[in-house]
Amino acid sequence: MADNKICDFLSVRDLEVEYSSGGEVIHAVNGVSFDVESGKTLGLVGETGAGKTTIAKSILRILPDHATKAVRGQIFYKGQDLLAMPLDEMRPFRGSQISMIFQDPMTALNPTKVVADQISEGLVLHQGLDKAAARVEANKMLEMVGISSDRADEYPHQFSGGMKQRVVIAIALACNPLLLIADEPTTALDVTIQAQVLDLIADLKAKLNTAMILITHDLGVVADQCDSVAIVYAGQIVESGSKEQIFDHPTHPYTIGLFGSLPDISKDVDRLSPVEGLPPDPTNLPAGCKFHPRCPKATEACAQGEIPNKELAPGHFCRCINI
Amino acid sequence: MAEVKNTTINTEIDIEALMAEEKRERKANRGKKPGSFLYICRRVWHTPTAMVGVGIIVIMYILSYSSPFICKFPFAKVDIMHKYALPGVAGHLLGCDELGRDILSRCLYGARYTMSIGIFSTAFTQVLAIPLGAIAGFFGGIVDTLIMRFLDVFQAFPQILLAIAIACVLGIGFNKIIIALGISGIAGSARMMRAQILSVREQEYVEAATSIGCSTPRIIAKHIVPNAISPLIITMAMGVAGAGLAASSLSFLGFGVQPPNPEWGNMLANARNYVRDYPHMVVIPGIFIMATVLSYNMIGDAVRDALDPRLKD
Amino acid sequence: MATLIEAKNLKKYFPSPRGTVHAVDDVSFTIDEGTTMGLVGESGCGKSTLGRCLVHLHESTDGQMFFDGKDATHLEKEALKEFRANNQFIFQDPYSSLNPRRTVKDTVMEPLQLSGKYNRRQLEIECIRLMDLVGIEKRLRLSYPHELDGGRRQRVGIARALALNPRFIVCDEPVSALDVSIQAQVLNLLMDLQDEYGLTYMFVTHDLSVVRHISDTICVMYLGQMVEKTTSKELFANQLHPYTKALLSAILSTDIHHPTKRILLKGEITSPINPPPGCRFAARCNYATEQCKQPLTLEEVKPGHFVSCCRVREINNL
Repeated sequence: MADNKICDFLSVRDLEVEYSSGGEVIHAVNGVSFDVESGKTLGLVGETGAGKTTIAKSILRILPDHATKAVRGQIFYKGQDLLAMPLDEMRPFRGSQISMIFQDPMTALNPTKVVADQISEGLVLHQGLDKAAARVEANKMLEMVGISSDRADEYPHQFSGGMKQRVVIAIALACNPLLLIADEPTTALDVTIQAQVLDLIADLKAKLNTAMILITHDLGVVADQCDSVAIVYAGQIVESGSKEQIFDHPTHPYTIGLFGSLPDISKDVDRLSPVEGLPPDPTNLPAGCKFHPRCPKATEACAQGEIPNKELAPGHFCRCINI
Repeated sequence: MAEVKNTTINTEIDIEALMAEEKRERKANRGKKPGSFLYICRRVWHTPTAMVGVGIIVIMYILSYSSPFICKFPFAKVDIMHKYALPGVAGHLLGCDELGRDILSRCLYGARYTMSIGIFSTAFTQVLAIPLGAIAGFFGGIVDTLIMRFLDVFQAFPQILLAIAIACVLGIGFNKIIIALGISGIAGSARMMRAQILSVREQEYVEAATSIGCSTPRIIAKHIVPNAISPLIITMAMGVAGAGLAASSLSFLGFGVQPPNPEWGNMLANARNYVRDYPHMVVIPGIFIMATVLSYNMIGDAVRDALDPRLKD
Repeated sequence: MATLIEAKNLKKYFPSPRGTVHAVDDVSFTIDEGTTMGLVGESGCGKSTLGRCLVHLHESTDGQMFFDGKDATHLEKEALKEFRANNQFIFQDPYSSLNPRRTVKDTVMEPLQLSGKYNRRQLEIECIRLMDLVGIEKRLRLSYPHELDGGRRQRVGIARALALNPRFIVCDEPVSALDVSIQAQVLNLLMDLQDEYGLTYMFVTHDLSVVRHISDTICVMYLGQMVEKTTSKELFANQLHPYTKALLSAILSTDIHHPTKRILLKGEITSPINPPPGCRFAARCNYATEQCKQPLTLEEVKPGHFVSCCRVREINNL
């Protein structure tokens, strides 16, 4: 990942995003690099405000115009740099090759259109189907996500939360995208419904061979779905590697802290060992390691200079000098 | 748990210092709490357009009440020799009307009516509308139905027509026009207050107040109304201009301040017969009305920005 | 241990335009002093409503409630005030549970002021003590809620609940709106407070891993009814009700080498409006038969383990 060779499918290199708000500069993403291989799933894990959603939105270039100050770095999708392209050339990728599932199914659907129309919209736009054909296709998609096509002419408010998220998934997968970005797809759902939706996503992914970037704060979801994992803290990837590497040998103190914070169902612990303190203010990030003010192992050296990304094992990277 | 006695000794010195520090902090933060009265004043103070508005209104008030002493011509003095005099003729800065009365003196004297009616009638509206809306919204059920259906009757008429009808019933005069305009605005404001209360009432902090044993009046006064009032203050600030304009319209139609007392609306009404030959008789009171409405609106804008920054752009 | 809270056949119905919503339907349980009861269920199962009934934020429709052995079903003025001092509530959403126009100090002090037992000076001292207890820095006394992060806000909510020195606290999903690392901090705080003051909690949540961590006994609710009730240990070792089994299997473990086999349920939670008699879970249950349409009650299947399912013995080979 630290090398300059880019992956055939999706490679993000040195991505930086800054927002401006009320005269202050918010450093949302600070030099993020990662690869996603075709058909694989990468989990981006982090807390609120860590910059996970911003990373996802920069891939689709749907960051809010008025607040975004600067986007730097490269995002290579099949060798082409999405960020360097004129927006007109980039736009056809959205929805057809790369699509996104948003966190809140309640607000992601248009309340004034029946669900079938919302699914067929993308098909008409990207695949040039006529309305009737798109409609047939939309019904098929609905059946695929487990909703009877009898309900195709209903409005979003007639569906429950889990069903809405299924519709959102149907819309996102309608054009057989090669890359799916799922931003906390099950956070708003109940556990039993979450299980249904996760199974559905895994099934469809296998069937369509879609690659996925799964954004979540829930390590349980990551364990269930992902091939590789990247832990995001204050706009940086602090640790990344395969699922087995991260879950079996968590190395960065923040990753260890995250695992310590989880009341794990399979273990009996009396007291949780959480990460103390609060995430840093993104307008005023600490120098050196962004985590050092909260880190139990911090030394003076941690506050100085950029922290290099060390390769611990093939593919397992960690941004810490005290390991 | 309430072992106050044990901790008193340890914290004795602490507490004095803390309270003193707190006092300093409060002083330093005065006017910085969004939504507080001082904060609104500060925002108005720092908005140039609003300060122009404040300036115009203050100057007009001062001139209005000092005009009998500083103007060369009393507003009621008839001078047939100079009727229809154009601005600048024979020392009449803004000319004279059809009876030769000095338009400047009349406009200045009349300022007190239009400007005060705007403020007083809006205040009258809110004093009645806020409790009505709050009661309807908080208690709901039959109380709500009764109050809201009663107010529906008022809303069934166009506001200005309603004001005319009430003015007709009450009779004519400065106080009565305030009441007429005030009543005609109640329904709208009360409805808004009710909607606000309904949304604030569902917030968990209201439930939290119940759970620690707050009484109903305290919940309404301390927890609900302060969080529901902002939009009302905004409408109030914006409403003053509208009410001033409505007051002029009523006078224009003959229901407001009566001649010989000069009011901009009735000056316009008089002058409209001469608009082709002596347009200054219409234009000058018109400019005064416009300036007042504009000033109030500019202040209103600043108040709105202070309370609801989202609407700024 | 003495029983502190007891509910007998508690019911809460809400009228709605489409019929009566049976939010809580005939629920009975006891909580011993100094212990924590976890109340688990999915959204819409009536768990928050039940919690609110217990502290008189809702008035129950039918049934009885006892606090410390005394009937607390219907209370008036003074009795209610005393009851409220002993029974407190911690809200789910730290964003809407604090009045945005009042400072931390105002919020923490309010219950003390209302009690009328403190003079100004004692109020200040108590306020500082409470803030210290829940771990909010003194300098934040005059901050407004919007200036604080979620974890601190929730601590303010906890300080408010503790102010009157209560014996029983209903915690309504107190950590579900917080980030994982902050969640653990707040959970630790709640457990420390329990150790120090012998508090009794009812911990309402949808998150089974949290509930296992904090509870002594657990009740599982489905559509207003209790389906399983037992100690925490027993529940996680031998769950007997098909719904509990599915719920537990849906938890995503971070143990990647031993993935749990998920039991998938059909469909979603059915409507709580005028539900038919019989098992309410039957519509989604993998074991449902005609027999399940008969009315049923919570039955002691094993000592201290109550289940409401007519086929429980059959399914579990008991």
